[in-house]
Amino acid sequence: MHIPDGYLDMHIAIIFYLLSAVVLGYSILRAKKEIDEKKIPLVGVVAAGIFAAQMLNWPIPGGTSAHLVGGAIAAILLGPYLGCIAMASVLIIQCLFFGDGGITALGANIWNMGVVDVFTAYFLYTMIQEKTGKKSIEAASFVAGWLGITFAAIFAGIEVGLSSSFKYSIGVTVPAMGIWHGILGIVEGIITAGVIMYIYRNRRDLLYEGGEKNESGRNSE
Amino acid sequence: MNLEEILNKKVTIVLIILIALSPLFAYAAEAVNYSEPLENTAEEVGAEEHPVYSGILPDYTVPGIDPYVGTLISALLGTFITMLFAIGIAKIVAQGKKDGNSEQNS
Repeated sequence: MHIPDGYLDMHIAIIFYLLSAVVLGYSILRAKKEIDEKKIPLVGVVAAGIFAAQMLNWPIPGGTSAHLVGGAIAAILLGPYLGCIAMASVLIIQCLFFGDGGITALGANIWNMGVVDVFTAYFLYTMIQEKTGKKSIEAASFVAGWLGITFAAIFAGIEVGLSSSFKYSIGVTVPAMGIWHGILGIVEGIITAGVIMYIYRNRRDLLYEGGEKNESGRNSE
Repeated sequence: MNLEEILNKKVTIVLIILIALSPLFAYAAEAVNYSEPLENTAEEVGAEEHPVYSGILPDYTVPGIDPYVGTLISALLGTFITMLFAIGIAKIVAQGKKDGNSEQNS
């Protein structure tokens, strides 16, 4: 889903650089309030794990490949603000060291995979958890992973579809990206649920508990 | 709390397994030309890449050596660099907090 150089018109690239900068700046301010000594190494490990997982390109029969994006995993472990920062770290290293994702498209790529994926996933995860009385981590993680990258892909479709190199074919690019990643996203959802359930069973303390510590939300069941 | 507490044996093993698998997946993905939906869509409408910067290790390879060894080295280096970079950013984020707290406390 990494957009390379040449796909985006310059003004689209700049708009998404600015949007990503605003959300990253806000995330840093919010993360400042909730980060502690314990979370610093966790941010590093989550980012490193997502980088390594993204190295694995699964071949899909029919001539397509895909890899994990990981925004939902980052969001559920670190919360949306540090999750956004961790994803941006991964994307910056991929772009600067490995040329994965164009340098002109870095803003758009951070927007899609570091902002849209992370915040959509976090919103869906917390909403499902709330509605089910925190009894559905597995389903909530699955939906977060699945729809997080589907929405990220739809945004990628919008960005390229508004650009001249794609002949402004937004009517083609959005459905193509949305449908393809909607299908591939099921794998992302399954992996997200697997990773989160494993951590929940073994190291529950590592899961993000929300910015404001609302003790009232903790039922002793 | 330090890195060793979180980067315990299990986490390290998982990272090493992911890194070790990278050449295998590179080989498998090559069979489908690394064509993600975005590239397929680009092909459909006739859009082309115009790289302006290809990175230090372009496309996760090390120039001049076997591509699969290059992928392995890239995975190893990239994972390590990403960890250091993210920890560095997190430390900078946390730095502001200490100042803010001490002001509030005083």
